[in-house]
Amino acid sequence: MRQSRTTIDARGLEPPEPFELTMAALESCDASQSVLLLLSREPYPLYRVLERNGYCRETRHRLDGTVEVLIWRETP
Amino acid sequence: MPTLLSFDQAPPLSAPLRYFLTAPLFAVLAGVLLLYSGPDAFASRWTPTALALTHLITVGFMLQVMLGAMQQLFPVVVGANFPRPLRVATLVHASITPGALFLAAAFLTHEPLLFAAAVACLVAGVTFFVVAAASALRGLAWTLPIVLGFKLSLIGLGVTVLTGMLLAVSLGLELDWPLLELTDLHLGWGLMVWACILLAAVAFVTVPMFQLTPEYPAWFSRRFALSVLASVVLWTLADLAGLKSAATLLTVVIVVLAVVFTLVTLRLLGQSKRAKTDASHMFWIVSMVSALAACGLWLADGVVDRLGQWQGRPALFGVLLLIGCFTSVMIGMLYKIVPFLVWLHLQNTGRGHVKAPNMKQVLPQVRIDRQMLVHQLALALLLLAVVWPRWFVYPAGLALICASVWLWLNLLCATAVYRNQRLKMGIVIQ
Repeated sequence: MRQSRTTIDARGLEPPEPFELTMAALESCDASQSVLLLLSREPYPLYRVLERNGYCRETRHRLDGTVEVLIWRETP
Repeated sequence: MPTLLSFDQAPPLSAPLRYFLTAPLFAVLAGVLLLYSGPDAFASRWTPTALALTHLITVGFMLQVMLGAMQQLFPVVVGANFPRPLRVATLVHASITPGALFLAAAFLTHEPLLFAAAVACLVAGVTFFVVAAASALRGLAWTLPIVLGFKLSLIGLGVTVLTGMLLAVSLGLELDWPLLELTDLHLGWGLMVWACILLAAVAFVTVPMFQLTPEYPAWFSRRFALSVLASVVLWTLADLAGLKSAATLLTVVIVVLAVVFTLVTLRLLGQSKRAKTDASHMFWIVSMVSALAACGLWLADGVVDRLGQWQGRPALFGVLLLIGCFTSVMIGMLYKIVPFLVWLHLQNTGRGHVKAPNMKQVLPQVRIDRQMLVHQLALALLLLAVVWPRWFVYPAGLALICASVWLWLNLLCATAVYRNQRLKMGIVIQ
């Protein structure tokens, strides 16, 4: 169970700012924390980087068009 | 759902860059041709020079940028991977580049062999690209406006090249085919189904993303591409059946659709949350205003008799649409796409150990702003050259060369940053 969650509302931010904010948040998180990213569309380049760095993610689409990406560190 | 990209599947930077670095050179050639031909360049849309100029911009500049952008945008915005992206880029680029040169030379010389070579290269390159792109998009939902736009624009590209091939064969072999009707179809499908639908599909994503505007209204983005395709198909059928009134009415519908797109885009740009407008924002505004003026000119043609009789009307329409609308917006997008790609690839190269330079360091704003001013000057001079060719054709040609060389140097500057940073990162990571 994740103990705490950092939320980044990146709707309305110009690329690559959402990516940089997410990376900075992930770097400061420990294994028990997760990051919730809110965007206007799916961040395909971010998915690639998450996968390469061993992160898990779950994407949900809200009715208002917001894309929610929940990111957490894969634990062995 | 689209599959995730792995690092190995990500298109190498050289795949899209080869298109982007080649495109401005064709605009330079167009400027040189304008200087060489002088005031007669805009005498009629049918002169060898006018045809060569048009295709240096449409096939040489626009097609290169559009194919390169599609190959790069597919994985980034819809998660669609081209199979073997570097091989696709190498083969397509190696086909369409000589194809555009042969085509321009064929118009200038009327040499049948050059027409044959142009057709062979362009048909091969475009067919290969369309097959690879269709394979990348296979399985993605047609209901997503950007996916729908990409798919329909590929159909438009196919029909444009097919009608272009028929025209080239007819011109090369001096066959008695209906050239005027074929040219209308070539123009209609090329400008609307290929270029306009692709521009709109890309705008649906990049305008809100990079210009910080609200999203396009759902009623519009879901219906625009299909409405354009349906109108152009009906217009084609009416034209082929000889139903002149119906065909004219349908052209008005098509132009009105384009007007609605420009007005919606201008309204969104007006709602941008940017504190300060940047060059790419200005390029979008210049593009949409030019498109609006071109549409107005088209609609006014049927109403104002004197305008219909004026010989410069097709050239004015061409300059507004090709240089004012499409070239402007493509340059604006290149200034977002290329620094973003350099940043993204450096981020991947750094593997989190070395920070990539930000986009403004990749391509300084001042370089972009200065090039934009020269591009706008070139556009203004080209428009004046249509009206007063003796006075303005040489300054216009020179300005077009300057703006295109400057664009090329700016893109080279971003490439040099990538190369230098990669070397530095290689040393740090080792």
